[in-house]
Amino acid sequence: MSETSLRPRVTSGETNWYENELPRVIRPNRSHPVRTLTAISLVLVLASLLGISSAYLVIEREQPLNAVTIGPWQAYPKAGTTEADPYSVAIYTRGAVIPLASGEGLALVARVDSNEHLLDPTCVYRIAGQTPSARLWTLTAVNGRGDLVETLPGQVHVVSQNLLRAGDGTFEITAAAAPHSGNWLPLAAGANASDGLRFVLRLYDAPVTTGAALDGVSMPVIERTGCP
Amino acid sequence: MTLSPRFTLTVGILATLCLAAVIHILVVLSIPRNVQHSAYDNIATYGIDRQFNLLPDVKPGQEALPDLDPAMKHAACRFQLADGPVLFDASIPVSFWSIGLFNAAGEAVYSLNNRTAGAERLSMLVLTTPQLSILRENPPENLEDLIVIETPEPISGFALLRAYVPHSSKADEIDRALRAARCGTI
Repeated sequence: MSETSLRPRVTSGETNWYENELPRVIRPNRSHPVRTLTAISLVLVLASLLGISSAYLVIEREQPLNAVTIGPWQAYPKAGTTEADPYSVAIYTRGAVIPLASGEGLALVARVDSNEHLLDPTCVYRIAGQTPSARLWTLTAVNGRGDLVETLPGQVHVVSQNLLRAGDGTFEITAAAAPHSGNWLPLAAGANASDGLRFVLRLYDAPVTTGAALDGVSMPVIERTGCP
Repeated sequence: MTLSPRFTLTVGILATLCLAAVIHILVVLSIPRNVQHSAYDNIATYGIDRQFNLLPDVKPGQEALPDLDPAMKHAACRFQLADGPVLFDASIPVSFWSIGLFNAAGEAVYSLNNRTAGAERLSMLVLTTPQLSILRENPPENLEDLIVIETPEPISGFALLRAYVPHSSKADEIDRALRAARCGTI
């Protein structure tokens, strides 16, 4: 493009007569069809790769953008409604997920513990505190893809009605693969750390089914108490 | 006109990013239209339309639909309002049950649970506005007792009935109640 400017400047002689220094922008342009074609196709290929891979990553993460976050818990009150954003529409329709509608309840998902560490199915967790008021709630352990996993006793959830509680209504649940006394939420037997772990808390018939009402409610903490 | 290499590179990068953003948006928006198995399609595999079909128990490795609660039993019914109004009628003897109405895209249209239903028995009528005005001309006796849900469009969709299983000894009773639940014409 600018080979001429790299040439040593000839201060005398006849060649200098027509090689006057034109500003670059008005210098005549010799067309390079191959170079232009290569540049355009490079832009097209790079843009497609970038666009498709970024879309795939966002959808594959399965975390809608408009989440309401309370400590480690996230809820998506708008997902699965007509007000949902395009990302959660894509995530929910791709997974064929039927959400809990607002008149039924609200599902909250935890992917990390209260110290922001990713949940690990080989560890032992203590889930303690209290939930927003609800007529019934269930706590389920699923793997990183959201599927249920085989556990030692065959049970994969705990229900609010069967919990042992302290005098003030708070509870303490131990989530572990091996049996524990008290409230035990069985985790996957023989799981690897790479399988991933999520806790899903479903509040049924709760007043907090809209996002605004979720501000300031108390949710249980998730503490890692031990890892092998 | 000749451009400097640096200017050409900047234009190239900007063009790439803009085009990538356009492609990203197009991909995200096109996913719902190109999904192979929507929830509406999946439910068809459990039985015929306009009838509550009991979904198998939610157990590891054999979940009927993703993201269902293992503490519940579920029954689903597909319907098309173009074929006429749909009457839901169920009596489920448990402390908690709920029903969600979804359109074919999986968006919640209406939902209620046994407390908001105001009665132990679920009786709900879903119809379009023209169907309701036809029905008003010759109303059935119990129209006043029904929860009437009017939709502007004759939607296709499905209803998902969730019933809490407090103890496995009640499982058979709940199964019978869910099978007996009606999802059909008036």
